[in-house]
Amino acid sequence: MRRPYQITGVVLLLLAGFVAVESLRLRYYTSLGPGPGFFPFWLAVLLGALAIVMLFQAGLGRLEPMPSDFFASRGGYLRMGAVVVAMVATTLLLEPVGFCLTMLAVYLFLLLTLGRQRAIVMALVALGGSFGVYHLFVRWLKVPLPRGLLGW
Amino acid sequence: MEDRPVDTFGLLMSGFATALQPTNLLYAVVGCVLGTLVGVLPGVGPAAGTAILIPITVALDPTGAIIMLAAIYYGAMYGGTITSVLINVPGEAASAVTCLDGYEMAKRGRAGPALAVAAIGSFIGGTVATMGLVLLALPLTRFALRFGPPEFFGLMVVGLSLVTGLAGRSLVRALVSAIVGLLLAQIGIDPVMGAPRFTFGRMELLDGFGIVPVVMGVFGIGEILLNAEAQAVKVFDTKVSSLVLTKRDIKDSAMPIARGTLLGFFLGLIPGVGAIVPTFLSYAIEKKASKTPERFGTGMIEGVAGPETANNSYANAALIPLFTLGIPGSPTTAILMGALMMNGLVPGPGLFKEHPQFVWAVIASFYIGNLILLILNLPFIPVWVAVLRIPYSVLLALVLGFCVVGAYSLSNSVFDIGAMLAFGILGYLFKKLDIPTAPLVLTLVLGPLMERGLRQSLEMSRGDFSIFFTRPISATLLVIAAFVVITSTFRALSPVRGADSQI
Repeated sequence: MRRPYQITGVVLLLLAGFVAVESLRLRYYTSLGPGPGFFPFWLAVLLGALAIVMLFQAGLGRLEPMPSDFFASRGGYLRMGAVVVAMVATTLLLEPVGFCLTMLAVYLFLLLTLGRQRAIVMALVALGGSFGVYHLFVRWLKVPLPRGLLGW
Repeated sequence: MEDRPVDTFGLLMSGFATALQPTNLLYAVVGCVLGTLVGVLPGVGPAAGTAILIPITVALDPTGAIIMLAAIYYGAMYGGTITSVLINVPGEAASAVTCLDGYEMAKRGRAGPALAVAAIGSFIGGTVATMGLVLLALPLTRFALRFGPPEFFGLMVVGLSLVTGLAGRSLVRALVSAIVGLLLAQIGIDPVMGAPRFTFGRMELLDGFGIVPVVMGVFGIGEILLNAEAQAVKVFDTKVSSLVLTKRDIKDSAMPIARGTLLGFFLGLIPGVGAIVPTFLSYAIEKKASKTPERFGTGMIEGVAGPETANNSYANAALIPLFTLGIPGSPTTAILMGALMMNGLVPGPGLFKEHPQFVWAVIASFYIGNLILLILNLPFIPVWVAVLRIPYSVLLALVLGFCVVGAYSLSNSVFDIGAMLAFGILGYLFKKLDIPTAPLVLTLVLGPLMERGLRQSLEMSRGDFSIFFTRPISATLLVIAAFVVITSTFRALSPVRGADSQI
């Protein structure tokens, strides 16, 4: 696990540096005690220290061995990518296109990419998860969901 | 409430007579059912659910309305457990910690015992808290109101010190998770001076990251990504060994339920603590008290029994300051207060004198409601467990949709969906790197409370730090926190026979 923790240590150190610099733009201390910049600055210092310890441990090799399944197969990364794409698409399309159509498309995409199901199962899940949920939340619970260009 | 015990008993009995009337009993049942369903739905937490369902109660008499709303409130606390156990998505933020061991129990074919112990623990915690309301309400509330900003700071420091109890194999990685949580909590408006911090000009970040997208992302989406990566077809052992608790389960759950009851009860008396704090603290305490802490996170029933009991004990105890002093300690109790006032009842000491029949009927209904919740939910456990038989690819799509609706419905913003995805990726990375996620969630909640407590205390003392040590409750809490940190660090540093150092 040496390399992953070395990379993690570097990333955390960079994050700590960024937060420390940004914190110093805020007021550090006031006459009545710590200001808005006080806590984030010292948290950044602590994070930086922990990052250095992590890098040190990785350098010394005092870590658990890497599990055999640490890196996924190509198929695994593609499936994860499908989940991420589905959620990004949902974020971008939910309001302009509307809940029902967006979720219908997202469900069909996920069901096709993540595992084969019978068409009837896919149709029921996709319709229930989109139109059915819309009906439940908007009509019964009065929780608004985006209507999009078509009004639903 | 200054009445003699025999007067109190008489009043309670007359309260039972009112609460057991068929219509009031029906309202309690309906409230428990609706509350459980609200708790199951992601994003629609107890506060939103109670608020949404207030219109249903408008047509009822005041007693019936409050009986139903209170039942919705503690029903929602139990409902959130169901999705935490079955699909690793907390139905409401306070149930997030149940994901750690409850979901692992489900994967091992033990979803039934997980839900059963949650139901029984919730019943015991809720009932004891109600007994506390009857017997000890006023003196306890007066004690709790001695908690000013210094005491609050001390309590939050104790909570943070227990982060070490949430560490897995590496204290360094647990601390990294905790610090990341504290840093995330810095985003938004500074709690004392009102200055925006780390918002980078984004309006959506002025309120910081909500706890619900964070827990749904870290636990729910993170798990989905891991299972998608592994092409999990069979995540759950559907050869369910038993739907009921074994003798061993009961023995292992007894002390966690007792501790959870006390912890949830005590914290429920203090306004402003929030429902997440008792559950995470209970988990950390159970891990510290266990002879096998390294097995937490692999399906330990103690990791479900304690927090779920603390959750419901807290929910019922939080009604004590509301009823006795008219102080709502949380958003949900504030909504209940609004409902009381809509019905012409002003919560506070006067309520007991001016409307004793109403108050004692409602208190009696808490006992009955907790029992109804248990009776309603135990037989449904096989139904809930049957959800796990759905093919995993279908379940994954459903859970994703569930999460999207939950995140969006928080504030009608797609930003929360994006945030949930980002935290899902973070949760995935943390899991791959064996960085525990529980400290992140705990510190995200405790951090702002601690900072506000510290800075308000220093404003009270004009910058003098001795305020924390001159007030006895605050000083005691800080000593407890120091003791916890020192013993945990010492334990982590000392070599364990046959194993490497945990640092």
